[in-house]
Amino acid sequence: MLYKTNAKSLLVTAAFVSWALLLANILLAAESTRQGGGPMLAFPYIHNFLTVIFIASVFLYQRLSAENLKGIDFIGYLWNLFSKAGIAAYLSVALFLAYRLTTDYANLTSTLLLHIVYHVNFGLLVLFLAKAFYIWRQLLLYHKNKFLQIAWDWFELLLGATLLLTLFNFNYTSYVFLPLLALLVFYILFLCTNLKWVAYLTFNKKSRSLVLLGAILLSCYIFARFFWQFTDSKEILVDYTDVGFLLLAMLFVGLYTLAAFLVSLFSLPTSSVFEQKSEDLLNFQRLSQSIQQGQSEAQVYDTLFESTVKASDASAAWLEVSKNNNMQTSHLLNITHEQIKAISHLLQAYKLHNIDYINNNLDRNPGFKELSLPWKSFIILPIKTSTRTFGILYLLKDIENGFDRETINVLRTFTNQTILTTENLRLVAESLQNERYKEELKIASQVQDSLIPKTFPVDSWFEISTHAMAAKEVGGDFYDFLQLSESRIAIIIGDVSGKGISAAFHMAQMKGIFHGLMQQDMPPSEFMKQANSALSRCLEKTSFITSALYIIDYRMKGFMFARAGHCHTLYYNAMMDDAFYFQTDGLGLGIIRDKSYSNHIREMYYDYNPDDVMVIYTDGIIEARSPENEEYGEDRLQYMLKQTYHLEADDIKHAIINDLLDFTGPDNLYDDQTLLVIKFKDSQPNI
Amino acid sequence: MKITRETKDNTIIITLDGELDASSSVALDEELSDPEIMAHNKILVNCENLNYISSAGLGVFISHLQRFEDAQIKLIFFNMQDKVRNVFEILGLDLLMTIVSNYEEAMTIADE
Repeated sequence: MLYKTNAKSLLVTAAFVSWALLLANILLAAESTRQGGGPMLAFPYIHNFLTVIFIASVFLYQRLSAENLKGIDFIGYLWNLFSKAGIAAYLSVALFLAYRLTTDYANLTSTLLLHIVYHVNFGLLVLFLAKAFYIWRQLLLYHKNKFLQIAWDWFELLLGATLLLTLFNFNYTSYVFLPLLALLVFYILFLCTNLKWVAYLTFNKKSRSLVLLGAILLSCYIFARFFWQFTDSKEILVDYTDVGFLLLAMLFVGLYTLAAFLVSLFSLPTSSVFEQKSEDLLNFQRLSQSIQQGQSEAQVYDTLFESTVKASDASAAWLEVSKNNNMQTSHLLNITHEQIKAISHLLQAYKLHNIDYINNNLDRNPGFKELSLPWKSFIILPIKTSTRTFGILYLLKDIENGFDRETINVLRTFTNQTILTTENLRLVAESLQNERYKEELKIASQVQDSLIPKTFPVDSWFEISTHAMAAKEVGGDFYDFLQLSESRIAIIIGDVSGKGISAAFHMAQMKGIFHGLMQQDMPPSEFMKQANSALSRCLEKTSFITSALYIIDYRMKGFMFARAGHCHTLYYNAMMDDAFYFQTDGLGLGIIRDKSYSNHIREMYYDYNPDDVMVIYTDGIIEARSPENEEYGEDRLQYMLKQTYHLEADDIKHAIINDLLDFTGPDNLYDDQTLLVIKFKDSQPNI
Repeated sequence: MKITRETKDNTIIITLDGELDASSSVALDEELSDPEIMAHNKILVNCENLNYISSAGLGVFISHLQRFEDAQIKLIFFNMQDKVRNVFEILGLDLLMTIVSNYEEAMTIADE
């Protein structure tokens, strides 16, 4: 940056000094000529050298100060060019006119004054060319490719090289250089075809740019004319038209300005089409981006309505949006509710509502003619998928054949995009909702998990091992225990019909009932009766609960139990070396909801021996299916116990669960599975 | 699951074919809730091809049980496979509902 600032000030100084020296040199020469002697320059080489220094420093200064193209404010650039450089031409004209007036008025001819004016104009010309040259460079290189960049770099280099001709005082008109210069002119013509920026001007901007370009063209003309008039003039000692560089630069600036002017002029009639197209594109983009921007459906319909009205240039329109399966007019344009009502009635009569319909000549239809509407073309665009209708868009135009194929395609694209966007908006909303449900289910699952005891009392007279697996986040299986007294423990297992949240609630309820009732220490059958009565009041009609309650008394070495519709208890008797199911009657809870339930529950007492094993489970175990759709079954469970009764409770459980997994295969869990294995021990606790 | 219903005089015969799980039990509930059913006093359920019944399926029968009893409509199951019968028995439903081995027996009981 510092380097750039330093270089800039150096260039400015160099330009000023060289210009001043040039002026001094010319004035000195002019003075000597006036005083006698032929018209000749004192030091032609020094003069040329100074000219080159001046031109080069001005161009280099402009090159350094040229900013990068920002945005597409081309009018700003043109204005910049005109206000900073074009004005120079008008200044030079003013200067020259002032000189003419003064000389005419005073009736004197001062070659010195003429030289000063000519030289000042030379300075202005170089400034103008340098500024214009680099502003055109930026516009010319808009949307450049690599080839264009290289072509331009070479052009600048070649143009710079022509300064050498001046430096060595070659006459550029000599036959040697003429073809080369001609080639350079073609090069310029080629460069002038790069006018991509013009396409980005809107109609308004094009008209404004035409004015500015015209003014710049005029500047070019003024300069050309001024310097041309002094070509080979006897009055002037130096002729700057001899500087090939200036001529070429002028040619480039002039031609490029002319090309831009002509292209803007001729693209003026088509610019509105491009404007519409680019606006359509922008609107498509707006529709498709509405999801990221978190817009609502109403905003999407706003965009749709505005865009389609603009795209089709409709004179009237309305939009009906479906709300709770009811069509409601949400947008209106240049049409009254009465007119909409009349048209809707007509469409209903023709059975035309809710379908794609185009009528490009309404007067030909007697029904529409009768309504004497001010419109001639009509199109209906339903916004619907195969399953649902989001809304219907109606567009009207006051000319015949107002909706051509091209317009209809654009309109359809808009409605399709709207369907996509609204569908997606709904999906996004749904997935957010689902996410919330999932989160709540997770909490429910954690709560339920905390309801199931993780540890049983450790005692020397029995071992217990448990397994619980829910098929969904929350399940209907449960088990629990309660130490009734020092030597007695109550163990309950249960299964609520159904799965999911409602089952989980009933399960929690059952746990409450268990703890509430068993505080009073009652026999299992009494518990079932009271639990049935409690549940009858709150369980929905199709739900029921199966349960089994065991009260083990290790001082008596026996247990009492009642089964309420729950799976039969599997038992291994070590004395008889036999595994069997307790076949007892008992009706599930919540099936009969009156006092008669007490007739359906039985209680049983059993004395246990050390090493006896009791297996308590839910139907998720025995009804588990293999991939071949076979049930695991009571027999296989019984067989497993016969094989494993000698193991510790934990190992028996693992053996059964592993066998079950082998049977069902992985990821084949459709029902909650709960398994409790209790093994009675010999050793008595110290009482 | 396929549920078919035929009406003979005063008797409705419902045939269950397949697995009665949570989703198909909804259809069964609709079938049993049909007011037309209440106009008959005998409902025979053919379980010959019922391969499985879930707790939801049982729940449907249980929920209608009291209603049928109050309206003095007889609900009789027949031709039930052993494993399905086992499910009814475990839950204790065999003592509440009439389950017989074949159609003739079902008709005899129904006509009593």
